Amino acid sequence: MSEGGLNKVLYVEDDVDIQVVAQMALETVGGLTLCVCSSGQEAIEKASDFGPDMILLDVMMPEMDGPTTLINLRAIEKLQQTPAVFMTAKVMPSDVERYKELGAVDVIAKPFDPMTLATRIQSIWSESHGG
Amino acid sequence: MGDEVAKTPVSMEEKLAQLRAQYALKIEQRVDALQALVQNLDGAEDGERSNILTQLRDETHKLAGSGATFGFPDVTLSAREMEQACVQALVNNAGANDVSGASEIASILAGLCEKLRRATEEQEKEQVEAIAVHQRPEIPDLHDSFRQKVLFIMEYDGPTAMQVLLEMDHFGFDARIVDHPSKLMDDLQTNGDVNVIVTGLTFDGDDNIALNVLNDLRKDNLYNEIPVIVHTSLESMKTRLGAVRVGVKAYLIKPVDMADLVDVLDHVTMRHEDEPFRVLVVDDDESLASHTELVLQGSGMETRMTTDPMDIFEVLDDFSPELILLDLYMPGCEGQDIAAVIRQREEYAGIPIVFLSGEADKNKQLSAMEMGGDDFLTKPIQASHLISSVRIRAGRFRELRSFMVRDSMTGLFNHTTTKQLLDNEIARVQRSGADLALVSLDIDHFKNVNDTYGHGVGDRVIKSLARLLRQRLRSADVVGRMGGEEFAAILPESGLEQAVHVCDQIRQAFSEIVFHTDGAKFNVTISCGVAAFKDHNTATMLSDAADKALYAAKHGGRNQVVKAD
Repeated sequence: MSEGGLNKVLYVEDDVDIQVVAQMALETVGGLTLCVCSSGQEAIEKASDFGPDMILLDVMMPEMDGPTTLINLRAIEKLQQTPAVFMTAKVMPSDVERYKELGAVDVIAKPFDPMTLATRIQSIWSESHGG
Repeated sequence: MGDEVAKTPVSMEEKLAQLRAQYALKIEQRVDALQALVQNLDGAEDGERSNILTQLRDETHKLAGSGATFGFPDVTLSAREMEQACVQALVNNAGANDVSGASEIASILAGLCEKLRRATEEQEKEQVEAIAVHQRPEIPDLHDSFRQKVLFIMEYDGPTAMQVLLEMDHFGFDARIVDHPSKLMDDLQTNGDVNVIVTGLTFDGDDNIALNVLNDLRKDNLYNEIPVIVHTSLESMKTRLGAVRVGVKAYLIKPVDMADLVDVLDHVTMRHEDEPFRVLVVDDDESLASHTELVLQGSGMETRMTTDPMDIFEVLDDFSPELILLDLYMPGCEGQDIAAVIRQREEYAGIPIVFLSGEADKNKQLSAMEMGGDDFLTKPIQASHLISSVRIRAGRFRELRSFMVRDSMTGLFNHTTTKQLLDNEIARVQRSGADLALVSLDIDHFKNVNDTYGHGVGDRVIKSLARLLRQRLRSADVVGRMGGEEFAAILPESGLEQAVHVCDQIRQAFSEIVFHTDGAKFNVTISCGVAAFKDHNTATMLSDAADKALYAAKHGGRNQVVKAD
């Protein structure tokens, strides 16, 4: 496990509008390095080379949805322990439970506030490394 | 030189505003598309119908998930309502061939779609207003930084008055003159917004007339908030007392050196909003720590808390507090050990550490102090006592540190600090991609000034330039004295052209300041080299480029601003 802070985030989202605003929020405000993917398939192709510190996934995507993408990413050796966070417009307590069973450390509700997204991600990261 | 400098979007707020505007443009089309789909629903075949419903569900899901992010919360609500209706319809629809049901769904969705359209239109209007408000950049534009307005009441003749106005202008004050105290009231009523009044005392041979006018104003509680400065040749104790009684803030004896007057004006007008003290609270008991935070925040301080002493360096580096409140007993480690560890890091050797504990044993308290604590407060402590202990120590620390980071003659940042701040700014723009300009600045033929008029006069020239730089640049800019007659300015969020423009204004203003000494009058000029981060991407390269440009300015005949290649 790396000792450094959060730097690289693999971000999977099919909605381009959301992609742009989240990327700006995380890069400009949060100072993070992002690998932005528009589909689960693209994420699986790029993840290994990118070597993210954290994975951020939209739940509802055409073709391969977020949970399925995560299962596939977990099959990559070095991503087995990488903290993953789902972003979703539907946050039902039962869904959250299911996402956590899939290995997500947290769930961020959409729509999110772009000004505080980076802080939220950082605090999820700290928590997943404190316990 | 063009006055219109294209503004590049810099702050997150501005970028967001742009994205919002783009989103607003597209959203109408998206609602149109939804409406068309809903219309197709009525009379659609079974398979086709569930196909349309699925599309509607997915598209409204997206809208619901993005609307509020772009400042359209009502769009999110309406879209979500519509999404749920689609989900419901899809569940009910499973296999059934129900024509009346289908048209009912179509009409419900049409209604919801209409609602979504209204929400869109309403919020577009709000967005336009919000964007207009948001477009103010975080850092004021270089060209119109804040200027104080000074009203002079003086009996001077025309040319002297003009000279005063001109010199005031150079130091960044907007000056206005009235020639008699009796006109003060009228002027304040018609023109208003005066930040400070400078007045003579003797008019028409009457030494009391100005003070009487001021006294009347005070009695009627009018314009009490405007500070008054007196400049006069009257030196008697009686007049001084009279001035103090009507609320005069400073009393200058003629002839008044313009540099001294500017000093006083700075002092009475630039009430630097004191930055809040930053206090770190370390206590394993979260509720106690929060309570302490609340007490300190209540008195306007900024606080950060950690319950895990193992995190201490991370928090210190991130928050850079001016005082640490440390619990003495924590599980796993003792406060005094933490204090000793903190002291071992050079940069925190001087930070005040105050223990906060229930420990009443004086000997134990003393041994904790030996390990690096500065004070010991016994819990429970009165809120007012805690606040003043913290404020006194943090204030002293801030003052001490300012001696280390600032140049004593000019109050500007010293060489080491300026270099450090440049590194910090560069790290920041490397992340944000914003503009940054660096200026190297040097007084022309300064040795001649010293040799001809003496070092005392030379110092005055340096102080005047320092003051001019502070007045003309923004508070977010870093101005440093790099040694002797060399200065540097770091201008965040400024491009090359903007920086050159403002430097040229400063150059021009400085060259017009008249220095007086023992009957002699003289002018001094400066040369500047300006470089932009986007052309030179490291601190060293940027400094070198600005220095080279300065060198070129010197060789090109001085009294000029040169851009780096």
